[in-house]
Amino acid sequence: MSGDDMNPAAVAQPVKDLQGDDRWMSQHTRFVQECKDAEPDVLFIGDSMIQLMQHYDVWREVFSPLHALNFGIGGDTTCNVLWRLQNGELQNIRPKVVVLWVGTNNHHHTAEEVAGGILSIAQLLTSRLPKAKIVVLGLLPRGERPNPLRQKNAAVNDFLRSWLPRLGQALLLDLSAEFVHSDGTIGPQVMFDFLHLTAAGYRTMAKPLSDLLLHILEETPEEKRASAV
Amino acid sequence: MSAEDPNPAATPTPCEDTQGDGRWISLHNRFVSDSKDKEPDVLFVGDSLIQLMHQFGIWRQLFSPLHALNFGVGGDATQHVLWRLSNGELDNISPKVVVLWVGTNNHGQTAEQICEGIMAIIQVIKNKLPNARTLVLGILPRGKSPNALRERNAKVNKLVQEAVLSLPHASFLNVDPDHCYS
Repeated sequence: MSGDDMNPAAVAQPVKDLQGDDRWMSQHTRFVQECKDAEPDVLFIGDSMIQLMQHYDVWREVFSPLHALNFGIGGDTTCNVLWRLQNGELQNIRPKVVVLWVGTNNHHHTAEEVAGGILSIAQLLTSRLPKAKIVVLGLLPRGERPNPLRQKNAAVNDFLRSWLPRLGQALLLDLSAEFVHSDGTIGPQVMFDFLHLTAAGYRTMAKPLSDLLLHILEETPEEKRASAV
Repeated sequence: MSAEDPNPAATPTPCEDTQGDGRWISLHNRFVSDSKDKEPDVLFVGDSLIQLMHQFGIWRQLFSPLHALNFGVGGDATQHVLWRLSNGELDNISPKVVVLWVGTNNHGQTAEQICEGIMAIIQVIKNKLPNARTLVLGILPRGKSPNALRERNAKVNKLVQEAVLSLPHASFLNVDPDHCYS
């Protein structure tokens, strides 16, 4: 099982400012600052799939009410998320659930390495937040028609399916099937560029995800005790 | 660098599929197909700033009613838009206005090169759609604090604004929110 130093996808790395406006570091700094003020029950972290969610109505309607924070950054790989979590984005917060969605941008790593990187993040989260549940979202298919990246993302999900249960606190939510037509194509109604979700695409995945989150949040022992009074 | 070196920002260049899922060409093919079926009065073309417009309510409220088509592709630089417009996306349509918003992704190029890229796009539009006006939107500032890219983008805007003054078929609009409300 990957997840050690030999796996390049499990090596924490910040994003270098190649463009010249330092936006990645600005976003990370803002997230660290948010950790000081906020008391989220649910932390969303990952790449653009997480980041874009907050710009649609579905965030305000479904996830904000759960007291959620969104620490998504477009383009992030498992290495970048690992670095952010090790460098302040978990300070001072005690979410009950962490929703993790990352891996589709790990272009230089194999499926097994990517799954190992995601596992490393889940392990880090479990060690820092022993009482939290970790919901790992499966990587969605991408591209208009079947292509090597779809196979790779599906393989990542397969590895996670067998590895994550061993962590106890972590589970996989794989919604891939919702996005591919019977002829194997992905339509622009759900993914406007065959990768990123439209408002309708997010609504499709929001229902099963929010059902799961509500289920987990309802199970919190503290709440059970409080409601039993 | 000699004066003869071609300007990469003004050389039609398709986007290489480095990731492996062919998404750029899929989008281009869909736009070419849209050009065959649809009859837009307004064509929006450019990078993610154009593309993302289509995803929000504002599109349906303000732009759909104008019979608009959206040919934005995230990550596109001027050379990519140039290639797309030269390879089918302007065929079979006759919009009255083309809204062009591109330039912020032209990394490693100078403001002068980027301006030339934008002017090359305006020329292609003029060649293919002789009766259309092109409205060039100013590239927005970026980054949390002042930085080199902001300076570059501001310089591009200044150069483009000056260059279109002499063109009856093109104009420039600064859509920077700070500018609009000052």
